[in-house]
Amino acid sequence: MADLPGDFWSGWIIVLTLVSFCVIAWLIWSVYFSPTPHPEEEHENEPVWDNNLREGNAPAPMWWFWFVLGATVFSVGYLMLYPGLGSFSGTLNWSQDARVRNSHSNYENQFAAARAEIVDAALTDLQSDPGMMATAERIFQRECSACHGKSATGQISLFPNLLDSEWQWGGSPEQIEQTLRGGRQANMLAWQGTIEPAAIEQVAEYVLQMHEGSDNSHPGQTTYTTYCVACHGADGSGNIMLGAPALNDNIWLYGNELNDVLESITNGRQGMMPAFDQRLDDAQIRLLVAWLTRSQN
Amino acid sequence: MSGMSLHKKLEEHSGLLIFGILAVSAVGGLVQILPILFQESLETPVGATAPYSAVALTGRDIYIREGCSVCHTQQIRPLIAEVERYGPYSRSGEFVYDRPFLWGSKRTGPDLHRIGGKYSDIWHREHLLNPRSVVPDSIMPGYPWLAETPAADVGDIQKKMRVLQSLGHPYSDASIEEAESELEGLTEMDALIVYLQQLGTAMPQGELP
Repeated sequence: MADLPGDFWSGWIIVLTLVSFCVIAWLIWSVYFSPTPHPEEEHENEPVWDNNLREGNAPAPMWWFWFVLGATVFSVGYLMLYPGLGSFSGTLNWSQDARVRNSHSNYENQFAAARAEIVDAALTDLQSDPGMMATAERIFQRECSACHGKSATGQISLFPNLLDSEWQWGGSPEQIEQTLRGGRQANMLAWQGTIEPAAIEQVAEYVLQMHEGSDNSHPGQTTYTTYCVACHGADGSGNIMLGAPALNDNIWLYGNELNDVLESITNGRQGMMPAFDQRLDDAQIRLLVAWLTRSQN
Repeated sequence: MSGMSLHKKLEEHSGLLIFGILAVSAVGGLVQILPILFQESLETPVGATAPYSAVALTGRDIYIREGCSVCHTQQIRPLIAEVERYGPYSRSGEFVYDRPFLWGSKRTGPDLHRIGGKYSDIWHREHLLNPRSVVPDSIMPGYPWLAETPAADVGDIQKKMRVLQSLGHPYSDASIEEAESELEGLTEMDALIVYLQQLGTAMPQGELP
């Protein structure tokens, strides 16, 4: 859609532009083609240099004439072809918006066949194609590495490692695709105020040793059974429907020190994965899923 | 009337000469600038463009104060390379509530016009504290002090909103009354992140170039 001025301002622009052309035409005519361009009679108070050089008795150089004529011809041609003369959109019907739409659809179309192929391909076929995996890695570097790191091993105890075995929201290709498309919002509650500080410390110690096998005599277990099982499960295996991570492995997104776990329980955690369904197309998402699950086979 | 006699008249009457100079030099502005001031489409918000909330407005002022626009543009040009990299090109109607707009003119860092929603709030916090903690090659400076200063310290939020209201931004009196309480408990960094997260979200991403 070309954004052109309304009726009054369109007329305003056209009239002023045409008047300007007339003035330029008159100027050229009066300098070069006027019947009396260089009056010979002297005027009072008129300065004279070098005996006979007076204002107006030597015409402007010809390069000036050709320059102005060329610029005028160019302007007229431009205003005929392109939008500029009020609401007249030009005989080429050009607009910036149409240009970018065209180049965008041309650009997209050249990948249409390849995209359709990627979307329909089996993951194993994509994974065994080095070219596809290189493309997938480039997409990862561009879209994902800011959080998950260039090597996909996570960063600064906030963004999960994507190469280990733990997937907070599920590691099947379908689950990973859903995570990419819709994003995820985890919600570990802040238990400060609900659980006594001493009990928080006990339960933190309890979950830190869960991966070594459940210790039924541990004092933190009672608190765990009361508050934590609903999401993290009695055996600490977590719940991918809720994004509740497994606690019975030795993988700790927010750090494996007692203080890190205490912080998580006391103040909660709100891990958030943005949605990419509008930033990436189906083929790009398919490639990322293939890349992320390539070591599962 | 020959050209020479008009020339002579202009030179001998300085008032006429001044008028002639002004008339000629005004033509460009009269044709190119004046009509734009009255072009409604440039003042009509597009998509979900809405006035900044009190928090986002404060974040915007911090963005200005810290000079973010010196290194980051907020204008995606209608060129295929830009549209492919950043998303839909910037529409004029998206900036109707920007006074002044922060288009910038130099990209030392990437364009930020469609940054909203691309990263999580937590990422923005870490990145603003120390950009190299998440982007190892980054040359952006850290802004750790933003996390220590209350957003309310930026000041004058109600006054700013009233001025914008008088310029035609549709703020309700109630929203101006609540402005200070909205900033309560937030740091400057929180406000800046709120501003960044809503940047460019007024236009749908996806199909549109």
